[in-house]
Amino acid sequence: MAPSKKKHASNQPCIIPGGFTVLSLQFSSDSVSQHKLYVKEHRVRTEKSSHRPLDRTLFVLNIPPYCSVAVVKDLFSQFGSVQSVELRDHPGSFKDSEPKLSKFFKPAEKQGFKVGYIVFQNSTSITAAKSHPHDAPLVVCTEQHPVKTGVEKWIQQYTESFVQPEKLQKLVDYFMEDYDKQKEEEAERQKKEAEQQQEDEEGWVTVSRGQKGTKARPHSEAANRRTLQKELKKKKRKELMNFYTWQHKNTQKEHIAELRKKFEEDKQRIALLRAQRKFKPY
Amino acid sequence: MKKKLTVAEDPAEMVPTDSTNEKQDEEAPLKAKRSKPEGADGEEVVYQPVKLSRSDLYRPPTAEELNQLKEAESLFHCSLLKMKMEELLKEVALRERRKQQIDSFIQTITKLLQAVPDSPEVEVSDLSWLSGAVKIPFLLVPKTSKGKFHMAPPASVDLIGSYPLGTCIKPRVMADLAVTIPADILHPKDVINQRYPRKRALYLAGLAQYLTSSSDIGTMRYSCLHGNRLRPVLLLTPPGKDSSSFTVRVHACPPPGFFKPSRFHPQRNNIRTEWYTGLQTSQSESSEPPTPHYNSSVLGDLLPRAHLQFLSAVSSQCSAFADGVALLKVWLRQRELDQGAGCFNGFLASMLLAYLLTTHRISNTMTAYQLLRNSLNFLASTDLTVNGISLAKDPDSTAPSLAEFHSAFQVVFVDPSGHLNMCADMTACTYKQLQHEASVSIQFWDNPTVDGFHALLMTPKPMIRTSDHVFQLCDLVKLQFSCKKLNLLSELMDHSGNYVQTVLPFILSLLQQGLGQRICLLTHSLSPDPEWSVESEAPKYKAQPPLSFGLLLRPELAASVLERGPPADSPKAAEFRQLWGFRSELRRFQDGAITEAVLWDGKSTCQKRLVPRQIITHLLQLHAALPDSCVRYVAAMVDDVIQIGNEVPSTGEEESLLVVQSYDDLSRKLWRLEGLPLSITSVQGAHPALRYTQVFPPQPLKLDYSFFDREKTQRSLVPKDGKPCPAYITPITVICHMEGSGKWPHDRLAIRHIRTAFHIKLGELLKKHHNYTCRPSPTHLDVWKDGLVFRIQVAYHREPQVLRESVNAEGLLVVRDNEEAQALEMATIHKPLLTSTLHGLQQQHPCFGAVCRLAKRWLGAQLFSEDITEDTADLLVASLFLQPAPFTPPGSPQVGFLRFLHLLSSFDWRNNPLIVNLNNHLTAADYTEIKNDFMASRESLPVMFIATPKDKKLSMWTKRAPCVQMLQRVVVVAAESLKVVERQLMDGTQMQDVRVAMRPPLDAYDVLIHLNPKQVPLLSQAVDPPTVTFSRGVVTSGLAQSGGALPVIDYNPVSLYLTELREAFGDLALFFCDPYGGTVIAVLWKPKAFIPAPFKTSQVSARRVEVRGEEVNTVPNVEAILEDFQVMGQGLVKSIEARTEKWSF
Repeated sequence: MAPSKKKHASNQPCIIPGGFTVLSLQFSSDSVSQHKLYVKEHRVRTEKSSHRPLDRTLFVLNIPPYCSVAVVKDLFSQFGSVQSVELRDHPGSFKDSEPKLSKFFKPAEKQGFKVGYIVFQNSTSITAAKSHPHDAPLVVCTEQHPVKTGVEKWIQQYTESFVQPEKLQKLVDYFMEDYDKQKEEEAERQKKEAEQQQEDEEGWVTVSRGQKGTKARPHSEAANRRTLQKELKKKKRKELMNFYTWQHKNTQKEHIAELRKKFEEDKQRIALLRAQRKFKPY
Repeated sequence: MKKKLTVAEDPAEMVPTDSTNEKQDEEAPLKAKRSKPEGADGEEVVYQPVKLSRSDLYRPPTAEELNQLKEAESLFHCSLLKMKMEELLKEVALRERRKQQIDSFIQTITKLLQAVPDSPEVEVSDLSWLSGAVKIPFLLVPKTSKGKFHMAPPASVDLIGSYPLGTCIKPRVMADLAVTIPADILHPKDVINQRYPRKRALYLAGLAQYLTSSSDIGTMRYSCLHGNRLRPVLLLTPPGKDSSSFTVRVHACPPPGFFKPSRFHPQRNNIRTEWYTGLQTSQSESSEPPTPHYNSSVLGDLLPRAHLQFLSAVSSQCSAFADGVALLKVWLRQRELDQGAGCFNGFLASMLLAYLLTTHRISNTMTAYQLLRNSLNFLASTDLTVNGISLAKDPDSTAPSLAEFHSAFQVVFVDPSGHLNMCADMTACTYKQLQHEASVSIQFWDNPTVDGFHALLMTPKPMIRTSDHVFQLCDLVKLQFSCKKLNLLSELMDHSGNYVQTVLPFILSLLQQGLGQRICLLTHSLSPDPEWSVESEAPKYKAQPPLSFGLLLRPELAASVLERGPPADSPKAAEFRQLWGFRSELRRFQDGAITEAVLWDGKSTCQKRLVPRQIITHLLQLHAALPDSCVRYVAAMVDDVIQIGNEVPSTGEEESLLVVQSYDDLSRKLWRLEGLPLSITSVQGAHPALRYTQVFPPQPLKLDYSFFDREKTQRSLVPKDGKPCPAYITPITVICHMEGSGKWPHDRLAIRHIRTAFHIKLGELLKKHHNYTCRPSPTHLDVWKDGLVFRIQVAYHREPQVLRESVNAEGLLVVRDNEEAQALEMATIHKPLLTSTLHGLQQQHPCFGAVCRLAKRWLGAQLFSEDITEDTADLLVASLFLQPAPFTPPGSPQVGFLRFLHLLSSFDWRNNPLIVNLNNHLTAADYTEIKNDFMASRESLPVMFIATPKDKKLSMWTKRAPCVQMLQRVVVVAAESLKVVERQLMDGTQMQDVRVAMRPPLDAYDVLIHLNPKQVPLLSQAVDPPTVTFSRGVVTSGLAQSGGALPVIDYNPVSLYLTELREAFGDLALFFCDPYGGTVIAVLWKPKAFIPAPFKTSQVSARRVEVRGEEVNTVPNVEAILEDFQVMGQGLVKSIEARTEKWSF
């Protein structure tokens, strides 16, 4: 082990520059080596999400792949009751854009090392975690909470991947109902907006900026580009080429420069082949 | 402008033809200029875009430069070829320094030879005057010989052959020295009964004896000219370190005009039967058999000086003559036609050019390139076995006619004197091979999509890589029995006892007759010139290496098991019966005809492929008395690594066919389904098994239900804990496109759900109508049918487009390419297309699939299957069939595999794109476009760039892998494997185990994870299958059925483990494993990951910190990682072998 570790007396937390506390973690009680978790209170200036309250969230780095959310929750409940655990591939702000999907429809998760955001019920738990001695490792797989890995885990995964067609059909139906409802609402809204722009009984039209997406011009990148090209073409048509003598000279000059460049390139290509001894027949 | 161009063209064409000094002077500084910058960037081998400064680009041009540029523009390809040829000639030409060395060495030898002392006259048979240190380079059979012999200084010593002519090229530089035997040693009657050849050999031995005492000579060995034992030569090399750089070949010749040429008429006899056999016969001289080969070999000694004069005269007329001959020699050498007995050597090449020049078929002003092209054209179109040619302008009356030559020799090319056939020893087969090569070469040259220069002059064509099947005659001594059996005494006399050369033409014509339509070409190796030291006896004929024969098969006919002969009552029937002997039998056919026929054995494709072998061994045994053990048949020797099947050995063709048939049935049933909300627009296979290229095609299985656990809700089978891993069942992917409709939602998640609904519906219908067990899931539908599993994926053609669209912050609809969309397009569009295209290729070339499987087996075994994916490998193999230059498309799996290894190891990936012209969609213009695009953006493109008609710019199949380092490793390993396999195949004396090439070197890796064989489901596919087998829940007897419980699909602990390892430790290490039954996972640490890095929250995975003051660095926590390997693979991992001694951190 690194010599720096030895300086710390036992029962002392190990804190490295940068403010992270090092916690040890081993798979089972008879493991010989340990992973190091780096924990710190979650402190981000621009954190807006209510999912990670600043005073109660612990930021954990380097969680091994066999630690699922449940395992992590279990490991950290020794410092106080855990409210929620969020595991992610990379540190970053909380995202909740994806709608709720059943596990069968979610893309497969990467099973690598993770970072975790652990929200405790009490802010005192954070201090407890941070002052946890370095040489008392957390143990993942214990008698009370066995963790399956390897063949056992794969068999379990395989078994759990089954879903009854009826249940699957139901999931699909729910989702599509939701989706249709959303679409309908959208259509309704658009219709209303269109109606607003119609003449009312007295012949007045309400003119407003309106919602985005209801403009007359198709609002897409491709359409924008097409219009731009049309303009350019128009401009080009009006321009005169090879009209003045200097223009003519310029094109000739460009042509010769082009030829020279090509010639040099060919020469270099041959030189390159020669340098690689590509002409030795045997 | 037009006129200028044509003017500019002319000088370019004429530069090499115009031989005035002025022109050459002009070219010299130009070349010097060109070579200057190259000297500067000689070391760096990277192509960089040219950067010219502004002032360079826009400076006013001179008239000369303008011309040059125009020329380069209009003649770019032509001039590129010209430059390449010049470079090649520079590589093979002798350097000035070397010439000086040769000249001085020849001078020393000449001086030495002139001082040879006289010796007293003795009988020819008396060898006592030779000291024991030097032996006579001649096989004295029969022993008796008449005449007197004594040593005397040579009458003259002259340079002959290619060196004085200037056509001598590297490698194997030889200068020929003709030493004239003084007339008083010889007697005009010496032509009879080998007296002259024996005196000649004695004279050489005398010279050798004298030269042994000299210190100016390095080594001294005997050899014989083109394998002809009547014409021994003495090989001298200079002393010291130059000894291997060139050789001087000393020929002994009679004085010019000493023998009358008319004595050597091909119909005359010069070896008496009485003398040769030692038996008293009553034959008169007129009834003695003619000895044309003996005659021509003696006559050949008389003429070298005359030939040199003739060739010098011709070459002085044509300035490009020497270069043309040099190119032709390179071409011949790449085809192994320029050495050995009956070869088309450099001398014949010069004579051929001379013939073409004197008959005005080519003009004196042509360039070397044109000379080569025209001579190939001439060879391709002229059959010298039927219409011989003659260089003699006005032969004297005693000279034989062409018809007389034809009756005595197989190939006829008469020299300027009109008496000598220069192709006397050549067999018709060798000439046919030459013709075939020439016509194929011309075809490639005319094809604008082929790099003709590289294919014709730079690529070697050894027999093992050229011929589809190769066999060797090992025990050459047995050919003596063939001589007896075939009654060839007079021929044997003519060849002076060389039974190998005597029998060869007869064996060749026998095989040609027997193989008939099955082959398009029969070739044989030319026995190499033996070389032996002057102290040892001349080697016996049986000492030469085995004779190899190559077959170029006609794929559609070669494997037919039936040889149908003429009707029983036709006169030809007797001939047929004579040829086939007891194998010929009368058979009645379905059309009612009763004919003679031979039926060969063979049930599976892999057995049928070896029908030519049965034919050859049968014919050789029947007619030439050569037993089975003599014939070493080298085909299908590597095939057994992909062999499956227990009763009938098979290399997977039948199994693949079964899968394809089952798929066709499924696809028909899918089309016919009614009750789907949208109709199906296409059903396409997207799996290697559906294009015959799956290494081990899925086999229909019947399951033993008691072996498995049951899943509770659906009663599907699941693997049982504690039992061995169940047999792996490959899901065969089928893409099913649904009709487009307004009803499809325009949202990625909604599309995903609709697809799921389709999977469920399809499953219901298939269950209802056909009682298949189905398992729908959001991504696919698994169908259990005929003991196979098909994985149907519903696709919607607009989905990639939907994935690419997104609305940005301003509400603008933007289209952005992303990986998800690309992956979907790959799976639903490109893969099915590739599968159907390659399926078509298999229909054209029956061994395409087998080559792919061998190639992929090798890639897997060498742990490269992660880097060169299945699709990439299939494309690489497809390129061998679509663009075989300089070969013809492979006709057997083995030769295809060898060429695959050669392609991998020799292709210049750095500077060239590999263009696979599937379905012949690409034109020459497309090729240029692809090459230009490639050169313009080389740096940003994948290291292995493969272009196809649907993918000209991106090389999507190799985008992800391999990386530069892996490609380099693949190249190295492929080259080594090729060497090992070819050596084993061609050398019968070596230990025979071609699997050596399939065992990867494991010492390069840092950690080895050994797996528990019990949990490796594909164990039986391993290169060296272990002796222990595990029950995997499969019943061997009985037919596979469709209904019943769903089996365990796509469950392979090894691949699951590898996925987990790569996801967790992918940035620290590389993981390699043979997907076909490998029991070892090799781990290679990434050196970059082990450099201590500063602490960053995004880069601490599996790392521990090292604190030094305020500096915090992280390094990988190796101990914990190794333990994780064990933990994550619980139950699968047997042991972990960490080779700490190799680690350098």
